Amino acid sequence: MTNYILKRLGQGLLTVFLTVSTVFILIRLAPGDPAVSYAGPLATTEQLAKVREQFGLDRPVLEQYWIFLQQLFTGNLGTSYSFQAPALQVVAERMPYTLTLATASILLTAVVAIPLGVWMSRRPDTKSEFGVNVLTIAGQSMPDFWTGIMLLTGFAVLIPIFPASGFATWGGLVLPTVTIAILQIALISRMVRREMTTNFAAPYLTVARSRGIRNSILTWRYAMGNSAIPVFTALGTRFAAMLNGVVVVEVVFAWPGVGSLIVRALETRDYPLIQATVLLTALLAVGVQLVIDLAYPLLDPRVRLGKAAAA
Amino acid sequence: MSLDTAAPTAGLPDGTPERKPSPSAVTKALIAKAGATRRRNSAKWKMRIGALCTLLVIIPILLAQVLPLPDANHQDLSARRLPPLMDGHLFGTDQLGRDLLSRVLHGGQVSLTIGVLAVVVSGAIGIILGAAAGYFGGWVDTVVSRVLEAQMSLPLLMMLLLVVALFGPSIPVITGVIAIAQWPEVARLTRSMVLVEREKPYVSAARILGLHRIQILIQHIIPNVIKQATLVVLLLLAQAVLLESALSFLGAGPQRPFATWGRIISDGQDYITTSWWMVTLPGLVIVLMVVGVNLLGDGLRDRPRRKKKGA
Repeated sequence: MTNYILKRLGQGLLTVFLTVSTVFILIRLAPGDPAVSYAGPLATTEQLAKVREQFGLDRPVLEQYWIFLQQLFTGNLGTSYSFQAPALQVVAERMPYTLTLATASILLTAVVAIPLGVWMSRRPDTKSEFGVNVLTIAGQSMPDFWTGIMLLTGFAVLIPIFPASGFATWGGLVLPTVTIAILQIALISRMVRREMTTNFAAPYLTVARSRGIRNSILTWRYAMGNSAIPVFTALGTRFAAMLNGVVVVEVVFAWPGVGSLIVRALETRDYPLIQATVLLTALLAVGVQLVIDLAYPLLDPRVRLGKAAAA
Repeated sequence: MSLDTAAPTAGLPDGTPERKPSPSAVTKALIAKAGATRRRNSAKWKMRIGALCTLLVIIPILLAQVLPLPDANHQDLSARRLPPLMDGHLFGTDQLGRDLLSRVLHGGQVSLTIGVLAVVVSGAIGIILGAAAGYFGGWVDTVVSRVLEAQMSLPLLMMLLLVVALFGPSIPVITGVIAIAQWPEVARLTRSMVLVEREKPYVSAARILGLHRIQILIQHIIPNVIKQATLVVLLLLAQAVLLESALSFLGAGPQRPFATWGRIISDGQDYITTSWWMVTLPGLVIVLMVVGVNLLGDGLRDRPRRKKKGA
């Protein structure tokens, strides 16, 4: 158990390290000069050179990388060019907003998608199921920025129930959450349906049914119990992905989270900010992934950590 | 079905030996209600509706140059923000007086080109690497699987944005980025199918006949899995179109020769309260097309496979 956790932790940290290094190299490979966007288009050559020196951009790339590695292990990723504050701190201030949005979305998704998927799996290929099935396909086919703008126009402009942007009141959470959840509900409910259908066709369920066990127990304890791991994994993976910033939705609703931050950081080529965002979100994503894996034995007593679980 | 209703039907009062089917007989009505039939029917309807939606969007896009439309980049400031169906503008005009339908169709050509190219590239990479990982195992498998895992835990859209923001939103860059985002799905599927396939007797037979391993893989195994692998491609095309529109919504889409769908929507966003059509209609076009492709892919996958004749 301890060995397993250590091994996974090591793998996770390696992934984070490789990710951060890839981003470091990509940024330096790309055309574009952060000094220009910092000093403005009217800056003289001397001014530009001064800015480069100040940010350490005039040194060889390998030396920059070495400095970056040192910073990485001391937990100081430099000062954000545009915020004039420690980059990690800027990102950490935004993180709770993204966390709130992601948590709300994943809860809404789980509450709607699991019953919906079970409902679909219990009446496969009937007319009503076909209708819902097509609806879920529509749900996964709508671009989220468009859904967001439509909801915004409908429920913040035409019928002003909810605030249009930002996170001043809890009402502001509703529209972004619904926008994200529409896509996730579509994906997860289809997955629940698939898992449940497989389990309903399994011999153990026929045996249980022939012994006269009630349908509700068959559905929720037997079939759902055995579908729990893949569904839980999917929910967890989605959640981890959302922590990386639900970029598009955050931009549409002017949500002060990590997603809109990274868009801004990219526009201004704020190197420390980009690196801090990537580092923090990658760490969080890997952490969530580890927690999911550790939770498997709780969901399914047959799972022994460290053994080949994904058989 | 209870047995006591199974009365003999031959001896009717008027003597005519009218044959009613016995309750245990499989009648046409029962066949029509059977699970297998319903499954086939819903797959059939999905394919029909899907094909209809897809063609409804794709045919006008392909014919955009032939149709009698104003030039997509032609500005007419006297005809700004005309509502749909005015002055021969079916979709209305935008804030610069450009014909919206023409913009959507021409932009659609770019979106679609990027989508198709990206899917072809990711399909090729995915099939080659997935097949190699599944067949050779060992370190090849380890490397490919690690990369797959690492990429799945990465902030996808953030990385795509990063690359596009840094290397410029040209069509090759965007295509490549989407292809790289999508290859893991194909690779994983191909790998799992090749793992099954390689244990089959025909592979041992080919090996005993002295064929080279690469020859076995290319001539015998890949042809057996490629049909299933290509089914995923349709679903990937839908995703690619959505990804491209999200990128261009965030300003990381191609600008020349024509703005693509996401960009058109983000342009119209500022006028949503006064000119609803500038956002709503392009969005509906995306939804129609992506729903169509998804339904088609879904239907093709659910379709019961016919046995090969004479094989």
